Amino acid sequence: MQRLQLLKETFFGLDAVQQQLVIGTAVAAGGILGYIVHKRRQVQTIPLGEGWWGAGERPLSEDDKIYPFEVQTSDEEIEDLHERIDRTRYTDPLEDSGFQYGFNSTYLKEVVSYWRHKFDWKKQVAVLNKYPHFKTRIEGLDVHFIHVRPPRRENQKVLPLMLVHGWPGSFYEFYKILPLLTENQDGVVFEVICPSIPGYGFSEAPHKQGFDSLAAARVFLTLMERLGFSQFYLQGGDWGSFITTNMAQMKPQCVKGLHLNMFTSRRGFKVLLSLVIGPYFPFLVGLSLEDVRRLFPFFEKNVWNILRETGYFHIQATKPDTAGCGVNDSPVGLVAYILEKFSTWTDLRNSDLADGGLERKFSLDDLFTNVMIYWTTGSMVSSMRFYKENFKSNPEKRVDAKTGIYVPTGLAAFPGELMHCPKSWAQNRYQNIYSYTFMPRGGHFAAFEEPQLLANDLVQFVKKVEKL
Amino acid sequence: MLIGVLIGLLIGGFIFFLVQRNRNRVLKIEDGWWGTGVPPDGEEDVTIHPFKVTTSNEELEDLYSRIDQTRPVASLEDSKFNYGFNSQYLQTVVSYWRNDFDWRRQVDKLNQYPHFKTKIEGIDIHYLHVKPKKVPEGTTAIPLIMVHGWPGSFYEFYGLIPLLTEPSNPDDLVFEVVCPSIPGYGFSEAPHKKGFDSVCAASIFHKLMKRLGFQQFYAHGGDWGWLVTTNMAQLEPKSVKGLHVNFAPPSKPSLSMVLSIMLGRHFPKLFGFTDMDIQRLYPCMAKLVVESIKESGYMHIQATKPDTVGRGLNDSPVGLAAYILEKFSTWTNCDFRNLADGGLTRKFSLDDLLTNVMIYWLSGCIISSMRFYKENFGKGLNQPHSNNGMAGPGTEHVPLGI
Repeated sequence: MQRLQLLKETFFGLDAVQQQLVIGTAVAAGGILGYIVHKRRQVQTIPLGEGWWGAGERPLSEDDKIYPFEVQTSDEEIEDLHERIDRTRYTDPLEDSGFQYGFNSTYLKEVVSYWRHKFDWKKQVAVLNKYPHFKTRIEGLDVHFIHVRPPRRENQKVLPLMLVHGWPGSFYEFYKILPLLTENQDGVVFEVICPSIPGYGFSEAPHKQGFDSLAAARVFLTLMERLGFSQFYLQGGDWGSFITTNMAQMKPQCVKGLHLNMFTSRRGFKVLLSLVIGPYFPFLVGLSLEDVRRLFPFFEKNVWNILRETGYFHIQATKPDTAGCGVNDSPVGLVAYILEKFSTWTDLRNSDLADGGLERKFSLDDLFTNVMIYWTTGSMVSSMRFYKENFKSNPEKRVDAKTGIYVPTGLAAFPGELMHCPKSWAQNRYQNIYSYTFMPRGGHFAAFEEPQLLANDLVQFVKKVEKL
Repeated sequence: MLIGVLIGLLIGGFIFFLVQRNRNRVLKIEDGWWGTGVPPDGEEDVTIHPFKVTTSNEELEDLYSRIDQTRPVASLEDSKFNYGFNSQYLQTVVSYWRNDFDWRRQVDKLNQYPHFKTKIEGIDIHYLHVKPKKVPEGTTAIPLIMVHGWPGSFYEFYGLIPLLTEPSNPDDLVFEVVCPSIPGYGFSEAPHKKGFDSVCAASIFHKLMKRLGFQQFYAHGGDWGWLVTTNMAQLEPKSVKGLHVNFAPPSKPSLSMVLSIMLGRHFPKLFGFTDMDIQRLYPCMAKLVVESIKESGYMHIQATKPDTVGRGLNDSPVGLAAYILEKFSTWTNCDFRNLADGGLTRKFSLDDLLTNVMIYWLSGCIISSMRFYKENFGKGLNQPHSNNGMAGPGTEHVPLGI
């Protein structure tokens, strides 16, 4: 009170000019502060940029029509596969090693025997073709996608939705969840687009360097525009999560909602603090008991596990052409490489099992159909290059790491995911989280492994956004 | 005052004793058994069998038909060797391999030195044993074991062997050379049990040298050979007269090392750096950290999932060649990444490079060679042997040349 009195006296002691100066400065300071606060609240976006990824020189104009596409196979293709399988040169596994050294060779022989003698690729091709496929040229590349319209549209809100896959998955991972999303969900039903990332499966691989998730995001935004959707929902895991996040950062006005089953946070002081204090006073740093259960002991669960499981990431982010060369000739090599992930990323404890726990959650037919998409298109090398393109330079310094995500976001945290990210950490990046769910079971390949759970969470999130 | 001095001496003496004990501790290991199942009763067969590298038409035809079945993938425009082995140059190398490379002639070259196999701890150990033809009057040949690394083999030493066993200058030293293949590499049988690390390899090589009648010898190694020979010196310092390595990474970063990295550029003399050291170490972040990350992907995946990564390479000779030869490009000079041909033939002939690849291909040992990474790194780098100094008879350490 005394100080206030002193200030008042000083102020009225000044002459008129000085008083105006003080008032002017105060107003200016207030204005600047207000502007800064306003600017931060304003949605920042990342620039769209542009690119062209075809071979050679860019032509003057490009065909933007959409062509129907059908997956095909031939006897030659199948015979070539069988012949290569028959020539596999197996190496015995070390005694009692389970899946600790990678895909166990004894179990590999069993699954390959199924592949060679029982798996019916022609039947699976028919399964693949039950949804309509298309291709269209964007930025010099043929982009493949399936477009599934809900069979019964009357009296329902039809919401457009794009599902984006990751590595080593494909659009096929969504085949179990598609019926759950395109058939009635009490008022909400989706019209679904599932593209293949360029370089994966039936989408053409880029011929030029530099095709990262920002480029993929832009290509997919163009695709939605070409299909006539001005507003839509997005769902993704693995690379799909990065790409859909980028899409929401580039054109937030188009993205009604973003749903992710894998998400990361920026490293920062807040995260560090919660790691240190979290085990003792979780609520103080915004962690729930379930968060604590999934995060700690930190070193064992997060550091050692990540180190053990990221060798593929390291070599693909540095030498993709070398790493992929052999697996493009050896179907059994390809199977071991891909299916090891479906074992370990579903449940880390699977590495101790002689059969890697593979068939507990997936059928061999489904697993091999996914592998065949990589095998028949020879897209393993280009799929690996995506890692290098995204991690060539420090990802923390890229524009998308410094921009927040402001569209309504739904996060589904699966317990078997490689690294758990609590809601409080996710809030570093995702500024508008409508729902965060601790999923009861399931791993990295959520749509493939637990389609009902994922569909339920997606629908409840969308209903929140639609205010239903 | 006297009591103070006495106490000081006692404490000092105690600390000295502790330090000495740590430094002079010799590495110990029990006998292992690496064959299938349980070790049989009775004595192990210690006979030494002569061995000859052989080939057959079937082997070559199988190789050629697999090469013909390769499904190549074009490298990105202008990417040279930055994404790994460039596809265009790979075509060139493979075409030579398919049409011009004469494997039978190379097999004869391999057989110019006598090969042997002998069973140790349950597995067949392959090695070369090269005795010098002429030893100067009054001297004996110096026994020397040379150990290769990954993705190399005993064949890497073929250029060196004549220089050591038949020196042109009569005053030069003459060596009797033993070049084994590490178990799991080339013609040495792969261990069937988990846990075969460099110390186990060192123990086996000691037994080999003893079986050949050498009580004392010199050891040389690079890459894994560095670690195996170092372990040999730690296991039985009395047997290793001297150790020469061409690769000596620090295993545990110590305070002095960290300080030397931080301040060495400005005070080189203080940390014992020469001009050459400064040139090779700095700029530190770029040269040590970023470069290591760029080039250690193979190490990371081999140290965690060797059976997965090696799987495809054992069916695809071209895949195997790309994987192995990429190292002969980049590890010779990392600037070679910016060359369309990876600078491969600047220092090596295709014949030599492909002979090394053939050793991996025909023995089908790529997976077992990769497992060595997991066995050594799987438990972390802080193994007992990395803490030990090397104690020697009479002297503090086994003499070391780098």
